Amino acid sequence: MQNLVIEIDHARSFDADSLLPRDVWSLAIDPIEATSIPIRMQTIDVKTVGFQFPRFGGSSGIQRLRGENKTPGQPHAHVAPHDAPPRRKLAPGKLTRIKPPADVVKLEDRLFYLLQPPLELLVGSEQLDFPFEPFPYQLDGIAFLFPRYAAILADEMGLGKTMQAISTIRLLLCSGEVRSVLLICPKPLVTNWLREFSVWAPEIPVAPIEGNSPTRAYQWTSPDIAVKIANYELLMRDRDTVLDNDQHFDLVVLDEAQRIKNQKNTTSGIVREISRTRSWALTGTPVENSPEDLVGIFEFLSPGYLKSDMPVASIAKATRDHMLRRTKDMVMTDMPPKLYRDAELELTAEQRATYEKAETDGVVQLENLEQQLTIQHVFELVLRLKQICNFDPATGSSAKLERLVADMEEVAASGQKAIVFSQWVKSIDAMRPALERFGPLEYHGRVPHKHRDGVINQFKTDPSKHVILMSYGAGSVGLNLQFCRYVFLFDRWWNPAVEDQAINRAHRIGAAGSVTVTRMLMQNTIEQRIAAVLDQKREMFDELFNDAKSPAGAGLSREEIFGLFNLRSPKGRIAA
Amino acid sequence: MSRSPEAEVTVAFYTVEESEFTGWTGGLLVLSASGRPVEFQCTLPIRPTRTHEILYGPTLRDFLIGEAIGSTLIKRCRHTPSLLCCNQPEALQLESVCGSPIALVSEAAERDEGPITDEMLPGYDHCELAGSTLRVAVERIEAVREIITQLPFMPDMLEPFDRIREAISEAQKQIARARAA
Repeated sequence: MQNLVIEIDHARSFDADSLLPRDVWSLAIDPIEATSIPIRMQTIDVKTVGFQFPRFGGSSGIQRLRGENKTPGQPHAHVAPHDAPPRRKLAPGKLTRIKPPADVVKLEDRLFYLLQPPLELLVGSEQLDFPFEPFPYQLDGIAFLFPRYAAILADEMGLGKTMQAISTIRLLLCSGEVRSVLLICPKPLVTNWLREFSVWAPEIPVAPIEGNSPTRAYQWTSPDIAVKIANYELLMRDRDTVLDNDQHFDLVVLDEAQRIKNQKNTTSGIVREISRTRSWALTGTPVENSPEDLVGIFEFLSPGYLKSDMPVASIAKATRDHMLRRTKDMVMTDMPPKLYRDAELELTAEQRATYEKAETDGVVQLENLEQQLTIQHVFELVLRLKQICNFDPATGSSAKLERLVADMEEVAASGQKAIVFSQWVKSIDAMRPALERFGPLEYHGRVPHKHRDGVINQFKTDPSKHVILMSYGAGSVGLNLQFCRYVFLFDRWWNPAVEDQAINRAHRIGAAGSVTVTRMLMQNTIEQRIAAVLDQKREMFDELFNDAKSPAGAGLSREEIFGLFNLRSPKGRIAA
Repeated sequence: MSRSPEAEVTVAFYTVEESEFTGWTGGLLVLSASGRPVEFQCTLPIRPTRTHEILYGPTLRDFLIGEAIGSTLIKRCRHTPSLLCCNQPEALQLESVCGSPIALVSEAAERDEGPITDEMLPGYDHCELAGSTLRVAVERIEAVREIITQLPFMPDMLEPFDRIREAISEAQKQIARARAA
């Protein structure tokens, strides 16, 4: 057997030591040099602008009013925190914010109004606790009045001007921004205002200026009465007291402000001289005959602001921020509709014969008067012709009455009630017999004042009384007949504003439903010509009152009345 | 901030608006117990620079709302409100600057932040005022509940923030008009 011989191959062998490098190499590395770059960061500079708002009176005006209004024997009407009325949750939707008027330019003043709470938050709180839920447009009216030192609230009759004015007065008194208020109204409306204050602002000390001279002198100067109510007629008698140097009112409100449209009128003069800070005017008819009426009212609100010779467009622009007018059409979603149904009738044969003779003879007489002709002569002819349009004087024949009786059949059959307006008591007398079966009641100048409330109550409660016959004048003061669904204008007044006022006896807040208004007009007569002129004048008022429809238009001017007959004399057209 | 002349209860509302065009604007509105304005302070618009945005990073909002703007407005305010209400959680850190308790109005904050839960604000309790939930630091909750009893006529806790926004807008318009003139 051979032995194995193992030989190591030295060329291909290695050992551990041969794996390690026996030499050292050095590698040069440059040092890292850090360089800092400073970043300048500017401090954030916060600049501020700030305002403090006046704190009127320190404590809540409401507690102050309640404390001052304590009646002996009655508990103090203080609201403890745990008795506070439950807070209303703000419903989503429009909030009525007080916006600063355009003439308020100072940032501080503008912010004061912008930062007031929206009215919806105040409604239901102790500051504006209403017995009934106000309509949204009424909150808009309050927001309009609140910041204004000169304002006209010219809402159509029946939309609640009284409530809006009272509520704003209440807010201003509660916040302490006003302390003394004078409200001036026609004498028959004083009790109405007192009643409205008791409903809408029972905590406010209110008193009428009345009684004998010493009593009134005391009332005028008493600091305990926050709101004083005086009538226009009183201002003349108490002129010296009202205009005394020590007498000043934070707010003077004029109701039925069209009363002062005539600047030369003594009452207007006294009203303008009353020392006051804020001036408001309430009227459903700010322009009765011409834009001149508005100038007259603005002489109270802001003397010199309007000029008589300003074009209508300029007047509209200048008054836009100071005047708020809503009509029932504009707030229709809140109220039932008013439906007009014009009855254009033909005269009966008897009426036509009488009318034509009267007109022909009458015009001849007017022309013969030539330069001695006055507007009174024209009026007399117009009135005579209008009366013939109602009833033929000889035979009593009447196309209008025939139509009225026919319509009343329907009204009575449906269990409804109607108001019939006429400018003449004589016409009311003439129509009564034909309407007897509908249980007619009467309300006009010949009805004694002490019986009038009874007439209205009977009309309201007696189901057999379907119709009330009213004259325009008597039916216009503080009368609410919202239960009537029908209004008939047997003859039309010169001034649509008065007609609207009459219609609004029925079509007002709280109306049970829609109101149908029938305006009776005889074709091819003076009535039709008058209506045409009045319709033309509506354009002027549309321009004055923005795009809002303005049913309250003007009466006829002298020129227009003369123009009804196109009177001519040998010397040419007879001028007004 | 000085003491108000009377010891009457007042409530302040603080918010900061951010706009791409104008920047950051803060407003502080002090209301009486019945919700009427007593004092209003607002800042001129602030535009942080790019450097601020980079260096502050996600803490920029905290810094502006909770420090730069808020503390300036509080210091400038003449009235010391009984309670300061905010609608941004970043403002809660102003408690160190403002002597009064600070409350976050949850419903107002939820418009931007989403639902506010207890977990988001540890150490906070809540109470109710005018139908809204106020989140208040636990150590101040009793004081706030006491203040609430003196505010029975406070109408609403959300709407004042809208008033501040409108007032800021009005102030900015006037400033812009003044500069243009």
